[in-house]
Amino acid sequence: MTFYFLLQFKMLNRRLADFGLPPMIAYFLFPIAFVVLSNHLFSKIEFATYIYTTIAMGLSLKLSDRKRNTFLKSSFNNKDYLKLRMLENITLSLPFIGFLIYKQEFIPVMVNVIIAIALTFVNFNIGFNHTIPTPFHKRPFEFAVGFRKTYFIFPIAYVLMAIAIYVANFNLGIASMLLVFLVSISYYSKLENEYYIWNYNLTAQAFLSRKIKTGIYNVSLLSIPIVIPLSFYFYDHFLLLALFFLLGQIYLIAVILAKYSSYPNAMHLPQGILIALSFVFPPILVAILPYFYFQSTKNLNSILK
Amino acid sequence: MSYGKKQVLKSIDLSFEKGKVYGIVGENGAGKTTLFRCMAGLEKYDGNIISQHGPLKERLGLLLTEPYFFEKLTGKEYIQLLMNARNKAIEDIEGRNVFDLPLGQYASNYSTGMKKKLALTAILLQDNDCFILDEPFNGVDIQSNIIITEIIKKLKALEKTVIISSHIFSTLAETCDEIHLLQKGTMTKKVFIDDFKTLETEMKTFSIGTKIDKLMLD
Repeated sequence: MTFYFLLQFKMLNRRLADFGLPPMIAYFLFPIAFVVLSNHLFSKIEFATYIYTTIAMGLSLKLSDRKRNTFLKSSFNNKDYLKLRMLENITLSLPFIGFLIYKQEFIPVMVNVIIAIALTFVNFNIGFNHTIPTPFHKRPFEFAVGFRKTYFIFPIAYVLMAIAIYVANFNLGIASMLLVFLVSISYYSKLENEYYIWNYNLTAQAFLSRKIKTGIYNVSLLSIPIVIPLSFYFYDHFLLLALFFLLGQIYLIAVILAKYSSYPNAMHLPQGILIALSFVFPPILVAILPYFYFQSTKNLNSILK
Repeated sequence: MSYGKKQVLKSIDLSFEKGKVYGIVGENGAGKTTLFRCMAGLEKYDGNIISQHGPLKERLGLLLTEPYFFEKLTGKEYIQLLMNARNKAIEDIEGRNVFDLPLGQYASNYSTGMKKKLALTAILLQDNDCFILDEPFNGVDIQSNIIITEIIKKLKALEKTVIISSHIFSTLAETCDEIHLLQKGTMTKKVFIDDFKTLETEMKTFSIGTKIDKLMLD
């Protein structure tokens, strides 16, 4: 069993290293960040203990995956399996329990300990099988996949837009629209396997053009429920709204091009810096868009030739 | 074709005719997958790969050993994506679901065999002229294996070209017109139907040798 925990520790270190964070620095930073964030939560929110308990329970629930635990059950005897699961759950809850003790919230401490132990006996299939419908079935890919992972953001954005209209706050309305753009742009962060590019019967230029058109169409579909009411209720700010909408589309194009400009590798630091610079100084887009486009066609030509 | 300093494939000279089924056999690491990548234009190579159908890229259906699926993409959407990629319209995907796959569910949750069947269905619906099937029978249930064998025969009858790799010799013997033996990156032998039995015996003798004795089971 000690070897199991040693392996878990090694795997955690490898994940941190893959993420680009040296484990030693992570173990130094995480406790500080945890205490700072916890303090912030308890100072700002009245029901912080409930939120805290829910987060701790959520983490323990992640370890209740049936497939994972079937493997553990088949590898360890019953007694060791239960001991191991209990230790895992309690270890994961320890930081939360520790902070609750510091806050002298003894009843939540008890609740957290009971939940951690009780979840030892619970196994279920993580990831429900229900398919989330999307409006992107005709051109399924980035948006179909991304939407299903981030669907909960859209009701939040639409409610924000409604609040913006209710309290007559145009800036909040813009923020709700930018939230939709930001989430949509994030769909292009994951690289596709080369098979998904190779299959296209298109030149590199036509491939990029199709990707961009699909992106523009889909992001418009998601942002129009915000744009139309905003342009109706804030018609005197219409030009500003249109400008932000246009900028959002341009950033979407920039990210699509940046993605393929480093393909088959993930976006490198230079692309990241250029995109970040363009947020600070948008006119720079005039120079970086052609640069990304040229690099992308060069990379795609070798697969699409 | 080489990875780093190690050359995986020596010079390739292959030509494929319409209405023929070709088998490629070789041990793990012999270079089969690399050969298929060369045919698909995904790798550079020395030599010639000629097909009666003309340049392969735009009319090639490629079934990889382990097809890759994105999380949260349904089986139906996967097929639609591959059809869009070839600019082909499709009306009734469900009606052409020959393997009765649960197309409304996420493909990444499919079993190994179901994934393979989905990837195969997609390239068949693309209406390609040439097919590379890398281990099409692996992980697939026996009923579907029978269907796949019949599909290959149908493709042959339709004047398509099919290139298959398989570790199950009987599946190749049943469908192929000729089998190419790939050893350490080189095509060492080409065998026609009449000599399949001899090839199988030779491969058995060569592969088994005294290896079982090494286990010292008795």
